Amino acid sequence: MATAAISSVGSETPVRRIVALIPGLLLLAAVGYAGKIIEHSIAVYTKANHITFPNIEYVLWAIVIGLMIANTTGVPRIFEAGVATYEFWLKAGIVLLGSRFLLGDVWHLGGISLILVAVALTLSLSFMHLLGRAFKLKPKLTSLLAIGSAICGVSAIIAAKPSIDADDEDASYAIAAILALGAISLFTFPLIGHSLHLSDKAYGLWTGLAVDNTAEATAAGALYSDAAGKVAVLAKTTRNALIGFVVLGYAIYWSSRGQAQAVSNKAAFLWKKFPRFVLGFLLISLLATVGVFSKPQLTSLANLSRWAFLLTFAGVGLRTNLRELGKQGWKPFAVGAIGEVFIALLTLGLVYGADRFLHL
Amino acid sequence: MPEIIPTAPRRGLSLDLYAVGLALILALLVRFNIIPPVQW
Repeated sequence: MATAAISSVGSETPVRRIVALIPGLLLLAAVGYAGKIIEHSIAVYTKANHITFPNIEYVLWAIVIGLMIANTTGVPRIFEAGVATYEFWLKAGIVLLGSRFLLGDVWHLGGISLILVAVALTLSLSFMHLLGRAFKLKPKLTSLLAIGSAICGVSAIIAAKPSIDADDEDASYAIAAILALGAISLFTFPLIGHSLHLSDKAYGLWTGLAVDNTAEATAAGALYSDAAGKVAVLAKTTRNALIGFVVLGYAIYWSSRGQAQAVSNKAAFLWKKFPRFVLGFLLISLLATVGVFSKPQLTSLANLSRWAFLLTFAGVGLRTNLRELGKQGWKPFAVGAIGEVFIALLTLGLVYGADRFLHL
Repeated sequence: MPEIIPTAPRRGLSLDLYAVGLALILALLVRFNIIPPVQW
């Protein structure tokens, strides 16, 4: 899959590695742009013919086209390395999106997110462990599933795996379950949000708190509205910032049981696991707040962020192989799915409460 | 078993740094009007 493709070009020269990315990058751009053209064409056609039709964002089209390619013809090997860069574009897009937030907004919404994340984290980690025990999953697989669903999906699992000395097989199962559930949430969250008439801020916050993978959380937010997408990214970034603390907690737990190496320098461990793009996001937000950019320049930065996300959303569809995801055991998926429903309901309740008492 | 191979955490770190680097370079290019206004 995508990650394997990156490792396979690891031993080549930098120029060859960059050249190997070109076909996949072109595919990402083509799929994403096709989504944009479809959205535009439908809008023009329905307007010209006075047809009332809900605007379906390019995000959905790009993901659907990607899914169709990945699950029919498959993504040929030559495109794999470039398609795997979707995560890079996601992070660059998030940093650039910092220009659309004043630090005061980050402080207000990020602070609310942080409180909600802390509550949701404690409850969801405990719930996932109870579930894992009930389904008799291996304890480390349960830990990985709990970290993946409570914090930030695949990156959290990858960060935690060496720290708790988990098996490759456990990590693969946990990643597959999280990816499958992320794909499902892309289609269910916007429907639930619309049926509950959630505001853009409430929906964005809910998505950022409940959807595991950053790419899927960004896409599920953007599927609702531009404003919801923005809030989803902020809430998800706050969640991502806590990855080090949770992984450290698990590393200490497993080392105390003699099943992982002890953590000697906790501060260095936290810094090593801290996602650097969060700092980039805050830096760009700070620069925008102190007036480094003019209004047209802020528009350009926001548009650059949209282009980066366009590549990301195409990649989300292209890397989701439903057949591969179906091959995993049913138990990790069942534990993940029940856990996800619990987390979605819990965070929805928290967001309702925050909307009412903290005035989002 | 699914064909997903978790990679070393170092990859995640360098990916973040490259992404931040690219975003900051783009921000500088926009700030000093070196690239034309970006349309969507």
